[in-house]
Amino acid sequence: MRITHTLLAVLAALSLAAGASEPPAAAAPAAAAAAAAAAPKALSSTADHSKFKELQQSFKSGPEVTKACLSCHTEAARQIHKTKHWTWEFVNPENKQKLGKKHVVNNFCTATPSNEKFCASCHVGYGMENAKTFDYTSETNVDCLVCHDTTGAYKKLPGLAGHPTYKDIEFPAKSGKIAKAVDLPKVAQNVGKTSRATCGACHFYGGGGDAVKHGDLDSSLKMPAKYLDVHMDAKGLNFSCATCHATQGHNIPGSRYTPTGKAEDTAHMRGKENKGNPATCQSCHGAAPHKAKERLNTHTDKIACQTCHVPQYARGNNPTKMSWDWSTAGKLGPEGKRMTIKDASGHHDKYDSNKGNFTYEGDVVPEYAWLNGKVRYTLLGDPVNTQGVTRINEYYGSASDGQSRIWPLKVFRGKQPYDLDTKSLLVPHTAVGYGEKDDSGYWANYKWDAALKAGAAAAGQPFSGKFDFVATEMSWPITHMVAPKADALTCTQCHAKDGRLHAIKGVYIPRRDANGMLDLVGWLLAAATLLGVGIHGGLRVYLGRKG
Amino acid sequence: MLKIVGSFVAGIAFTGVLAWNMAGGLMFHEHLSPFGVEETVARIQQNIQVAGKGWALAGLRFPAKAVQADGGNALPVIMVEACSTKYSGPILNEDSVKYLSILMPCKISVYKKNDGKTYIGAMNAGLMGQMFGPLVGEIMKEVAADQAKFIIMDPSKPTPQIIYPKAAGGGAGGGGGSGC
Repeated sequence: MRITHTLLAVLAALSLAAGASEPPAAAAPAAAAAAAAAAPKALSSTADHSKFKELQQSFKSGPEVTKACLSCHTEAARQIHKTKHWTWEFVNPENKQKLGKKHVVNNFCTATPSNEKFCASCHVGYGMENAKTFDYTSETNVDCLVCHDTTGAYKKLPGLAGHPTYKDIEFPAKSGKIAKAVDLPKVAQNVGKTSRATCGACHFYGGGGDAVKHGDLDSSLKMPAKYLDVHMDAKGLNFSCATCHATQGHNIPGSRYTPTGKAEDTAHMRGKENKGNPATCQSCHGAAPHKAKERLNTHTDKIACQTCHVPQYARGNNPTKMSWDWSTAGKLGPEGKRMTIKDASGHHDKYDSNKGNFTYEGDVVPEYAWLNGKVRYTLLGDPVNTQGVTRINEYYGSASDGQSRIWPLKVFRGKQPYDLDTKSLLVPHTAVGYGEKDDSGYWANYKWDAALKAGAAAAGQPFSGKFDFVATEMSWPITHMVAPKADALTCTQCHAKDGRLHAIKGVYIPRRDANGMLDLVGWLLAAATLLGVGIHGGLRVYLGRKG
Repeated sequence: MLKIVGSFVAGIAFTGVLAWNMAGGLMFHEHLSPFGVEETVARIQQNIQVAGKGWALAGLRFPAKAVQADGGNALPVIMVEACSTKYSGPILNEDSVKYLSILMPCKISVYKKNDGKTYIGAMNAGLMGQMFGPLVGEIMKEVAADQAKFIIMDPSKPTPQIIYPKAAGGGAGGGGGSGC
């Protein structure tokens, strides 16, 4: 009893002491804030850039910041110079096609020639007004901040040739909205590793807006939930883009210009062995990842992981653009001004005078095709198919080449201008630089002739003056937005008559490829067996009774 | 005699199994929509609004969002709810069939399947109504006729926009419409 009393007394004393030590409720937030302010910054890096004297300057321009960065990171710019993020150029080793943003045409905004001041908001450099004349040897024109900003305040606005704004400006022009000047010292002193936000600043917004281009990359991946991507799940594994796109010397692996159709079959340690593209599922998971359901491992030789594990794309509540018809652009509103018309959701335009008609879709079921990693683009000067659909890019692959897997694709369909004489695609000059007056820009005057003439001149291609619009398709392999395994495709979604893989040729898929005659023979055999068993059993009963 | 009784019982059993298997398909019907999920919903809402006879939008629900919120994935499903007091009133005033209030408001479901196409699913109100006596049968017959008009997709009409109920709170919810 005495012990109990003693314990109770001690507990009471402790609780009183605890109560006495608590600050008044109202004072708690202030105290916490003061403590947080006094506490040193919790950095995962070994360097606090805000303490570097080189960065404690009142920078007036991006190149000034780069100069400071290069005083320590001496090789960074030269590394960047070798990447397609800088050169906008990539030569396909397979067919020697010159690709990269400097050369390719797509069926979204089409191409960069004549539009660089606008497009260069996604160039890792400053001052790209013309991709042909830009100084690719300049080190200080490399933009370190666009990839290494951690504040989220660094924005490169379209029309400024790759520069952020250094003063407060009205943006878009005549909108009444003010874009604040970037606080360069603050951004420079807070640089760090790349993140989903920095990569996403361009890759989530490709094609002219959030979720427009890729379908499996949009702003919902900045802080995704597990349902959207098991690897990037912000409360789970929290992968950054660079976790998979493991970078060496600023060269980032994983590109649709040289996709890996059939990855190495064994998991490997990144950075320790060079066994191919680290941005593949197999580089971590190997080729036999299904421990509980080994039957599934027999599929991995022919089916890309993404086919089952990315059941739909554009799942993050951001519908992706699925078609774009340039041929209807240029219709103006009642006052002769640009007009937009919303789609059924009320959230996206289905028509814009600047661009024509669009369609958007969320939770899109992919199309599927064999991919072996080889791809050919329709470039400026290449002939188009005026009687059918021109493929902007054509991925190769087949069931029999031993190099292919079945991949999910976003197939983007559009109509875009081509020259009636040369029968090749044309580049419209659409956007003009910020604050500039340029009558040839389509978005300024809605004159196709002038826009196509200016675009052709910038691209160095002939323009006959006669043009029309041709139907095009462009494919985008789907690889992000990996769903939890419980949401992967089930067997019957492919093994069915009209299942997901109904269009895949060259491989026998049970149930999909059922043969009516074979099935009938099978059922007849089963029926005959049953009948035989019945007769046999009946005879035994009958003869048994008869004795 | 045994053969006759046996055959009779076997016939009843066969009919029972057949009815059991077919009942689900008879109670509900499904149609392919030429439009995407959102446009289909918007067009159904527009049809309901011009239907007259007291019909009004009663809500919009997003059951697949609840699956997302719980960490999973489901293809989009949007349920359009509509109600007409002209039809609901007599049923709600009759004690013997008041339990049918659990079927209110009328729902039309719009969803995407794994083939990437959009479908419209609805209850076969006419057939179901016949199971609950003449009062309900007559009302549901008219409801079924109206429902058939709700799901007419006329591509010649311009695309309307979805009407989101003011009380919609995101997630799976989204009731709070008017009408009933």
